[in-house]
Amino acid sequence: MKNKILLLCMAFILVAAFALPGCVPEVAPPEEEEEEEEVVEPVKIGAIYPLTGPLAAIGTEIKQVVELAADIVNNSYDIDLPFARGEGLPGLGGAPIEVVFADSKGSPETGLAEAERLIEMEGVVALIGCYQSSVTETASFAAERLAIPYLNPESTYPGLTDRGFKWFFRNTPHDYTFSETFFKFLEDLKEKEGLDHSEIENVAILYEDTLWGVGTSDAEKDLIAKKYPAGAEYNIVADIAYAHEAASVTSEVMKLKAANPDIVLMASYLSDALLFQKEFKALDFNPKAILAMDAGHIHPDFVSTLGADANYIFTREVWSLDLSVVNPLIGIVNDIYYERHGKNMDGTTARSFTGLMVLADVLNRAGSTEPEAIREALVETDIPPEDLIVPWKGVKFDETGQNMYGEGVISQIIDESWHTVYPSEFALRDWVYPQPTWAER
Amino acid sequence: MGRLKPLMVRQPRIFWRKNYIFALAFALLLALPFIFTAHFQHHVMIKVLMFTFLGCAWNIIGGYTGQVALGHAAFFGIGAYTSSLCYIWFGLNPWFGMFLGGILAVAVSAVINYPCFRLHGRYFAIATLALGMIIRLLFTNWRLVGGALGVRLPLLPESLWNFQFHTTKLPYYYIALVLCALIFAILYKIERSKLGFYLRAIKESEEAARSLGIDVAKYKLVAMSISVFFTAMAGTLYAQYILYIDPISLMPLMTSILICVVPVLGGAGTLWGPALGAPILLIAIEYSRAWLGGGGRGIDYMIVGAIMVAIIFRPGGLTSFFQGPRFRQWWRRIRG
Amino acid sequence: MSELFIQVVIEGLLWGAIYALVAVGLSLIWGVMGILNLAHGDFLMLGMFGAYWLAILLGIDPLIGLLIVTPAMFILGLGIYKSLITRIVKAPRLTALLATFGLGIFLRNLAHFLWRADYRMLGDTLVGDRVITVSILGGTNFISVPKLLAAGGSLAATALLYWFIKRTKTGRALQATAMNRQSAALMGIDTERMYMLAYSLGIACVGVAGTLLTNFFIIFPEVGIMFVLFALVAVTIGGFGSIHGALIGGLIIGLIESVGGFVGIPALKQALVFAVFVIVVVLRPRGLFGWAD
Repeated sequence: MKNKILLLCMAFILVAAFALPGCVPEVAPPEEEEEEEEVVEPVKIGAIYPLTGPLAAIGTEIKQVVELAADIVNNSYDIDLPFARGEGLPGLGGAPIEVVFADSKGSPETGLAEAERLIEMEGVVALIGCYQSSVTETASFAAERLAIPYLNPESTYPGLTDRGFKWFFRNTPHDYTFSETFFKFLEDLKEKEGLDHSEIENVAILYEDTLWGVGTSDAEKDLIAKKYPAGAEYNIVADIAYAHEAASVTSEVMKLKAANPDIVLMASYLSDALLFQKEFKALDFNPKAILAMDAGHIHPDFVSTLGADANYIFTREVWSLDLSVVNPLIGIVNDIYYERHGKNMDGTTARSFTGLMVLADVLNRAGSTEPEAIREALVETDIPPEDLIVPWKGVKFDETGQNMYGEGVISQIIDESWHTVYPSEFALRDWVYPQPTWAER
Repeated sequence: MGRLKPLMVRQPRIFWRKNYIFALAFALLLALPFIFTAHFQHHVMIKVLMFTFLGCAWNIIGGYTGQVALGHAAFFGIGAYTSSLCYIWFGLNPWFGMFLGGILAVAVSAVINYPCFRLHGRYFAIATLALGMIIRLLFTNWRLVGGALGVRLPLLPESLWNFQFHTTKLPYYYIALVLCALIFAILYKIERSKLGFYLRAIKESEEAARSLGIDVAKYKLVAMSISVFFTAMAGTLYAQYILYIDPISLMPLMTSILICVVPVLGGAGTLWGPALGAPILLIAIEYSRAWLGGGGRGIDYMIVGAIMVAIIFRPGGLTSFFQGPRFRQWWRRIRG
Repeated sequence: MSELFIQVVIEGLLWGAIYALVAVGLSLIWGVMGILNLAHGDFLMLGMFGAYWLAILLGIDPLIGLLIVTPAMFILGLGIYKSLITRIVKAPRLTALLATFGLGIFLRNLAHFLWRADYRMLGDTLVGDRVITVSILGGTNFISVPKLLAAGGSLAATALLYWFIKRTKTGRALQATAMNRQSAALMGIDTERMYMLAYSLGIACVGVAGTLLTNFFIIFPEVGIMFVLFALVAVTIGGFGSIHGALIGGLIIGLIESVGGFVGIPALKQALVFAVFVIVVVLRPRGLFGWAD
């Protein structure tokens, strides 16, 4: 018996020894300084994100950034963002925003259940989330059934706004828009580099096999079939879907090598993006350019783990740190975030931040927490570009609930950071094309 | 309760008089959604019933027959896909789709599981697990059935015929309750039938069963088919309930595992095992997530993992608590 | 084309050996104790995190960290055995299976709780991402050194374990326990100790695997799932309780995955592996080299 206890203790100490150094002290959000004279009921907003499971890393970052946005609204910050100066929402008598988080576990069914729980048992007046398009699909359905406004800041599957929903609004541009940006960029590239059409002709499409990856690849294939823009012609030499939970991606890379494309269009989450880039190097795969669909390739950890090996990837973006030259808000917000969590923001978290800020604006204008009033305000939303930390022309929803003014940019990783290279009005740096081969780096 | 008992023919009226506890419990189940009225609470109840149903279905092959099948999520998925696609492609009513899905699942299972019946113990478990994974990967990449994009069911006016309800979840609850009552009745019959004895004989020892003249492969197939049929039916219920299905969330390994944790937690191979296991497990899963999930630190899953580990402290499952002599005495006193 | 194909085969063998490295420990535990350790992938994850934190906090390279992580995992295995597995062994098979799966879920989320879900990767290790260029049949082929190291570790671990079981007295006692616990106990073997040894050795093996994987693989709480299924399949193809069977099973899987993914549809390469596995066990119900179930 003694022996047993001893061993248990040893095992425990061992686990603790592994555990303790890794424990990241949680940065406590500043205590809310309510309860002074008058107590204003906070406005509750529900947020559903994948906080556990394979996508927990990104879900946790979104949670942090949404908390930051709520903090900026609730407390006084000296920033040129709406509601930053002053506490709470003036339109609601200075009521602060309280974000109630729920874990979707990356499952559509759980997303649905959590949406219902937040609405009925937590009494939230609006919902945001859920990152993954498949979860947004069901969670927004619950909101539609229970007649609660749903603002989606980051799911890009185009079909989400085709459902004729009354209560669903989407802030981010969707994959079809983004893919169009890709092809417009390629035209621009050909023109500026003086390339002949045949020099960028063979395209390989590489994507992970979930709703998002397949959805983007469909949009790309559709645009290629339509010869977008203006009769551009491409050959798809490889169309590779890969299982997102596979450990080894070598056969995919070898297939790419065999197809020998000029351009690779990629859609990967962070873990696969890292594995692929490692294998590209190990197996000496040298396309002329890799064009990635944000997600994994815009995550700060992509560069911090790969270092110089991450260079020269083009990626679609909605945000970039270097744009702070054009829009100083980007730098200011990112600095606060960096200070709290030791990481930069990225295009995903920037969109989630924007999502909550838009919702704050809507609630403020609605002047009420009645769902119908909030919906009215959502429909009437018209936020100018200078109030946003993303390079959009503003936020205004069309009749399907899609933001009409959202736009994508293309940035390239050069010298281990992202630089906006397209469209030219935002471009602060020249692109590198073609990317150097691994031997030349 | 799971022990072999001599067959007793009871008059139904006497059965109810003697078992007023069950009648009370059933009445409570009928009234439950009116006591807890929020959608989320209804959701938890529906999930509990759905997993009770799935657990009972699994019990036939895994509990009574002792063949540990770890790929049931695939058949759950086949049921969901069949009824949904049959509606979208041919306009077939989901109620018929439900049975069609069951039949299709039985057919698929007969083809792929039959060769596995000669495998023993863990080999069978891993083979069924692998088959489940294969089916999931095929569905993920099969564009004709939507592939990874999944299938979105068209919204119809709510009615029992359409099997869709939007404003309330109560009908789903009662449908699940009826399904559970159905499977309990069937299991009750099976337990006391020749088939039930054969299956238990196979569980005890295949060699002995064979020497008694039982066609082991045939009865394994029968047990698997019944099990898979009901599993697929639950798939249809799920599809009509969520109205969006995709292979990644419909057929993960976790679902397959949960389907067998439910009866094992309650007591594998017992009639009431799943009914005890499902509420505890599902309420733990749903409410721990609701309370702790928002923190995003994985504590809720740690609780679920701990519950699964805790089964080893009572290998007979929760029903074994009700089989001790003391409980029997007490029970006899209550029943008068 | 032949150049590419040779590369595919090389990668298949390397990955196969890596799967085998994860599988060897699983095979030992399965062989001796008759329990399927579904938490194996999560022990792998713990090993990876162990090596990672040693490298990050103390600057100990994974190659040296191997000497620390392996014994540490051995002790962890001992602790887990004493606290849980003694009970799991006595429980019915199915309960045992689910309990190990539950243990896996617990460990995975404990890691999530302690270290967050971030994806991590070690930057500059001693091995780095060096690549050996070789010329086979006139073409240029690449062999990644960290993978080669993991593959070598796999062969070494298998050989060592094989030697231990076949040639040492304790190893023979282990074998006897595996064949029949009662008889072994009658022969004067302390079977309880043998079980403990088998389990701890199995966990130590996965510690080796985890450490060698940190040289080139991403580290995050859910990483174990990516390996555990293939390890299971490798062990089962190889056959119950056969150490070299696990190695050969791993190599077969690696080759099928790599070649199948290259020639066929990459998204279905895992399905292909599972399909081949099912066919193998249906034709040979005890696996290729197994002797019981």
